[in-house]
Formats: sequence, structure tokens, C-alpha cells
Amino acid sequence: MKPGEDVTSASDRILLRAAGLTKRYGGVVAIDHVDLTLRSGEVCGIIGPNGAGKSTLVGLLGGALSPTAGRIHFDGSEVTSLPASERARRGIGRTYQIPRPFLDMTVEENLLVAQYSLSPLVGTRAAYAQCRSVLERTGLADAAKMPARALPLLRRKRLEVARALALRPKLLLLDEVGAGLIDAEVTELIGLIHSLVKEIPTIVIIEHVIRLVRECCQRLVVLDFGRQLAQGLTSQVLESDEVAAVYLGTGHGSLKAGPSERASSARARLAQGGQRAGSLAGMVGAGEPKASGAAMPLLRLEAISAAYGQAKALNGIDLVVEAGQAIAILGSNGAGKTTLAKVISGAIKPSSGCMLLNGEDVTGRSAHVLAARGIAHCMEGRRIFQPLTVEENLLIAARGVSAIEQRRRLEEMYLLFPALAERKAASGTAISGGQQQMLAIARALMAKPRLVIFDEISLGLSPIVVDRIYQALGELRAAGLTMLIVEQDMDRVLDLVDYVHVLEHGSFALSGSPPEVKANPRLRHLYIGAAD
Amino acid sequence: MAAQIASTRSLSVGAGSAGIVATALLLLGLGAMIFAPRVVGEYGTEIGFRALIYLTLAEAWNLLAGYGGLVSLGSSSFVGIGAYILMGMLNAGGFGIVTALTASGLGAAALAIMVSPAVFRLRGLYFTVGTLALGEALRLFMINVSYFGGATGIFLKSNPPPTEVLYVYAVALAGIATLVMEIYTGTRFSILLRSVRDDEDAASQVGVRAFRVKLLAFAVASLLMGAAGGLQALKLGAIEPYGMFGLQWSIDTLSIVIIGGLGVRFGPIVGTIFVIALAEALADYPELHLAMTGVILILVIRFAPKGLCGLGQDVCRLLIGRWDRPGMPRAGGALP
Repeated sequence: MKPGEDVTSASDRILLRAAGLTKRYGGVVAIDHVDLTLRSGEVCGIIGPNGAGKSTLVGLLGGALSPTAGRIHFDGSEVTSLPASERARRGIGRTYQIPRPFLDMTVEENLLVAQYSLSPLVGTRAAYAQCRSVLERTGLADAAKMPARALPLLRRKRLEVARALALRPKLLLLDEVGAGLIDAEVTELIGLIHSLVKEIPTIVIIEHVIRLVRECCQRLVVLDFGRQLAQGLTSQVLESDEVAAVYLGTGHGSLKAGPSERASSARARLAQGGQRAGSLAGMVGAGEPKASGAAMPLLRLEAISAAYGQAKALNGIDLVVEAGQAIAILGSNGAGKTTLAKVISGAIKPSSGCMLLNGEDVTGRSAHVLAARGIAHCMEGRRIFQPLTVEENLLIAARGVSAIEQRRRLEEMYLLFPALAERKAASGTAISGGQQQMLAIARALMAKPRLVIFDEISLGLSPIVVDRIYQALGELRAAGLTMLIVEQDMDRVLDLVDYVHVLEHGSFALSGSPPEVKANPRLRHLYIGAAD
Repeated sequence: MAAQIASTRSLSVGAGSAGIVATALLLLGLGAMIFAPRVVGEYGTEIGFRALIYLTLAEAWNLLAGYGGLVSLGSSSFVGIGAYILMGMLNAGGFGIVTALTASGLGAAALAIMVSPAVFRLRGLYFTVGTLALGEALRLFMINVSYFGGATGIFLKSNPPPTEVLYVYAVALAGIATLVMEIYTGTRFSILLRSVRDDEDAASQVGVRAFRVKLLAFAVASLLMGAAGGLQALKLGAIEPYGMFGLQWSIDTLSIVIIGGLGVRFGPIVGTIFVIALAEALADYPELHLAMTGVILILVIRFAPKGLCGLGQDVCRLLIGRWDRPGMPRAGGALP
């Protein structure tokens, strides 16, 4: 499988040809002389670890970024110097990895933008009819009249796809649309992509969800450090040891490896992690009594319920978190995991029940009050401050402490995540997805919290980066940090925590120690959700 | 659910069948106002004229800032240009008032098109500062160029028409502004414009030519502002750069729209009525008036980001939709 070797069942018509594509940000080379040929009738996957340059490549093809060098030909003419709008009009549609809907417009209007911009004179009825059909296909029909701002993260991702489809593109670039979906939803997405093949000549899928790539793509391109590492038929690429090493990290088997193998290697990493724990002990809330029998629990929730308007999201949650414990909250999408995290951090006020922090009643207190009491929330979707640099993002969580202390905490974070130290002067969102997640975690830790809530920290990350992040969590755990981990990715969490709760429809359906929960036959049913 | 949808739509689109009816009523009301001078007398007509000029400016500014996200502090540039063009043409002789007013508007639009390549390079706050600089630069230019009368300004050689006649022009201009806004915000232009407001990059990615979309809104708004400036100059009979290019025009327009409701179709009219009424009520206490306006602005921005109109809508929604509110997540809330 050498670069350039063509293996595809697609027709001979070349839709897009990129030659010598290069993008530099200052001294950092994000994309380095990549050649890419896309033919009509093919579905091509682009995989690679976080920071490999995948999103940059989408930006270059879609026109959001202009290349430092190289040329792009699309549909018979050169588009290298054309702005994004002109490329979109010629038929290149893309989605954003972190959704960027038009927030103050309805979902339907979000789609109408594409139609009205392409054909300003299209009949209103036809435009709305097309909107409806796209919304139905993407499962958003019920939300047509809702403002996009009201959609949660995963539905915003659907809107990204719907908006790109409204453009009726010839080339569709899907940037990590599968991240964070449960199995049933991935199946649905695969079905959607298969049905699109008939209408959209060429689809490019950038994805970490290997199942999606395997079932949809005929051909794969593997990027690493901005270079094309390999390309070829999907099955061949996925079996290649070289690719597996880059993508999953050395020590892993090929991409076919089952979760249990991965889990065992993760456990090995955790063991190594303990060695660095000593240096991180300082990050744990100072002066707190560490898990002694007599002490009261750090956090206690009693019969907590929460609702969005009439829709109940949480229904009588009882939860006890002892100091020094790590607890996992699992469950399918829509089970209420994020809502629970938000209630604990104060982002949402519970509708009933009470919450005790170290014995003090803090029910309904605002987020900043709870933050001052030592609860840190590493939110879903990272929420990096875009105008601030990496270091400023970190410092914002450690206001009110002396400069020396700030410096010390920064150094600890840089020790935990050396990648951040290298990019500390970069803008918070100019770094790769994996680094952004590390930044979000580090920012939560900068406040020196007593309890940290990690919400979906592995979402959209390649296995190698998830490993690195879980290794860091293992070190923090060994240092005695109390944590609550909200996750989809079950295997890794179960190796890390003391206790597991599985949410279903807003209440705990299953609780126990990791081995108990793992052995429980109900788990699979709960986790795959009501869809099955 | 229906009430919710209707209110969301009227909030975001500002039109719909209810919006069209309301606009028709507004136009009828404006038409009826032509006969107002017979009832309210000289002073009332003066106030009406001022209100209509402000309404025109506010409608134009709402198009820019509320629907286009282009928060401009350069309203004074276009008011001033309009004023100077009208004075120049009437003093040169041979032009009717309507022709001169049209030229004022077109001149302002031409200025907008000329400066757009520069100011559209700036986004967000930078755009605001850029337009502020534009107004100040034009004022300094006018002060220092003797051809345009320098700091003394220009006097109208002929007698200006009586207030009642000017008032009719103002009614017509405000009517045109309302109509333009109705067309702009009720149709697909508004969808493109709002997409650029919400996320210019994402809009480009679905084929929107953001520059053209912004330029059209900028030119249309400037045209209305220029015509309003021309009419104001005709009323004054004498203009000078400090007044016509004064920052006050930009600030007043901005406060009216923010108090009434930014990005809300009827924000400008509500804001105009409120601001003019406040000014009249406190006419004898100018310092208090200024302080009150400031306090109200702060309160509105803090507690009613959609202005008095948005506040009214929220109250209505609370009263009407109390029993059939769907479980819609709050803004920013996540209900997966």
C-alpha cells in the first residue's frame, strides 16, 4: 500500500484532485504535501490520530483555509484561490467537527440559508418541501421550528449534516459526525450515508468510529503528522500493523482488536501511571480529610430531580461520593448523564431534592458558588475560550491565588500534559481536538478542586489520545482526586473507577462495583438503549 | 405549541401573517398621521417630525445591527453626507426637494459602497470602531475643507418649506423605511442576512456570499439614513459639520433600537415612541434626561436583551402559553 497506488471501485471520473497541499501555521506544519484524488461514486475515509491534520484538510478542501502551497482542482476547474462561498456553490459541502449552527435561527431556517443562497428564486413551497425531506432523513423533523440554540450537542451535529445536505453537494465532507453516538445511532448514521451514495457522487468521512468507516468507505487515507501515511482499500488499511501503531499506539493490536484486549493494555498503563502520582498530589484540594471512615461524604445527592420545562431529565437521583472515590456515570444518549453533571456543578438548578457538599446544603446554589466550594466541571464539548491562549485558558480557572501558586499549578499541568506546554501561546481553539480536550481537563484542575466532573472527555478522540487522557486520569486518581466520570466509552472507565451507576430515563437503573456491573446481563440492554 | 411557534417566528423572522397585518396597520397609522398637524398644532408637528426622522434612522440601524449583526457607530456619516448633498443641490438651484432627497439617499449609499471593502474586513467590535472612525474622519474633513463651508457650514439660500410640508415628507420617508424593512425582514433576504450575523464562516460554507449580503444591507440602511439626514437639513435651513456629523446621531439611533428591541421587527417604533416621550417629559431637566436614558439603557441591556418589545412578548407568552407550554429546553440547556 504505497501512496498513489489506486484501488477503488469508483468510476474513472475524477471529481477532486489536490496536489502538494500544504498548510503551515507559523512554524507548525498541519498538512504537509498531501496529494488526494477523489472520484465520482466513491466514499473515502480519512483517519488518523488527533492532531494529524484531518480537520485542516477539510478546511483546505472546503475553502475555509487557504493553503500555503499546492493546488486543488474540483469538477474540471481550479478552485485553489476561490473563497468558501464559491466552492460551496460549485458543490463542496462540509460539516464542522464542533457544530456551528446559526444559533438564533430556527432549524428550518438553518437549511433554507443554503437553498436561498444557491437559488434565490426557488419557489417557497419547493424550498420548504426539500427542507422537510432533509430534516426527516436526519431525524430532526420534530425540531424544525425550534431555535438551533435549543438543540443539545448531538442534535446540533445532526443539524450540521442536514445543513450540508441542503446544499445538495457533489462532494460532501463529514468531519467526525459519528463521535459520541451509541451503537444504534451509528447504525442509523450508516444507513443515512448508504442512502446518500445514490445522490451525492463523492463523500469523504473523517472519523474515529471505526465501525462507521469500515461499513461505509471503500477506500481509506491515513494521515499522521500532516502526511499521508497510507491509503488503500478499507480492509487492507485497517489490517495494516503500521496504521494500527500510529492510530492506536504501539502495544495495541490491529484495529480489529476487541475491547477486552484494549482494556487490558489500558490497565497496564494505569499501573505505570501510579509512579507519577506523587508529583500530582498537590493538585488535589488542599487540607481536605482524605476518605476516613468517620468523615461525612464529600457530596451527597438526595432524591434530586431536574426538568427542562415539562420534560423530566432526572428523576429522584440518590448519589454519594466519598472523598478520594472515582465514580462513573454511564448510560445511553438522552439518559440524563449531562444533566446530572450540570446539576452537580450548578449549571442547572434541580426542581426538587437536596444536595449536600461536605454536609453543607448547597441545593440550588449558582455555578460560581459551587466552583468556589471546590466543584470543577470539565464540560461536554470542551468549551475552550477561543480568544484566549492556552495558558490564559488555564489561568482563568486559578484567579485569586498568588502568582507563585499559579506558576506552580501551571507547571503541574504542563507536566501532566506536555503537549500543552508546547502550544501554550497558541489560541485555545487553534490546537488539535485532543489537545483541546487536555486543555479542558487541565483547566478544570487548575482551580484545585475537591471534586471534578468529567463529562464525555473521550468524545471525538482517537484511541491513542483517549489512552493518554485516561492515563492522566489514572495518575490523578492515584494522587487522590475525587472524580465523577460521565462517559459513553465503557471499557476504559470501568478499569478506572470504584463504583458505577448506569442511568436510564433519568434514574439509576443499575449500580455496583465495576465487576458486578460488567457481569450484569442488564447492562448491555441499558446501554444500547431503548432503540433495540 | 402553536403559540410558542408563532412567538418564536415573530421574534426571529419578525414577519409572518401577523407581522404583515401589523405592518399594514402601522402604514395606515402613518398615513393617518398626515392629518395630525391639524389636530396637534405647531409644537406637536415639530415633535412628530423629529419622531419620524428618528424612526427612519432606527429602522435602518435595526436592519444593520439587529438583522445583520453590523453594529455601526457611523450613522452620523450617512446623515451628514445626506444633509450636505441636499443643501448643495438646493443651493445650486434647479432641483426639486424630492430629487434632492433621493440624491441624498443615493449619495449616502454610494459612500457606504465605497467604504465597504475597508470596514467589512473588520468584524464584530472592530467593525463598530471602524465605522466610528469613519464618522469622525468625515466630520474633521468637512470642518477643514472651506469649499463645503468649513466649520461655519452652509445656509439654505431659499426659504425652507413650512413645518407641515416637511412633516408630510417625513411621514412618506418613514413609510418607505417601514415598507423596505417589511420586504427585507419578511423575505428570504432576511434569512441570508441573519445567517451571516450568526456565523459568517458557516454561512460561506453553505454558499452565502457574505460580502454581498452585508453590502446590500449596508447600502439600503445608508440610503435611508442619508435621506433622513437630507430632510433634517431642510428643516434646519443651516447646517454645520459639528451638528450633522455629530456622534449624537449614532448614539441616539442606537439607544432607540436597544430600548425598543434589537433585531425585533417593531423594536424601532416602540423605542422611538418611548425615547421621544421621555425627552418631552423631561424637556425642562436636560441633565436628568441624560441620566435617565443611561440608566434605562443599562437596565434594558441587563434585564431585557430584546428590549421593550421582547419584554412584552415574554409577558404575553407567559400569559397566553401558561397552560400549553411544551417542554422546550432553555437556551444552552442540554436535553440529549
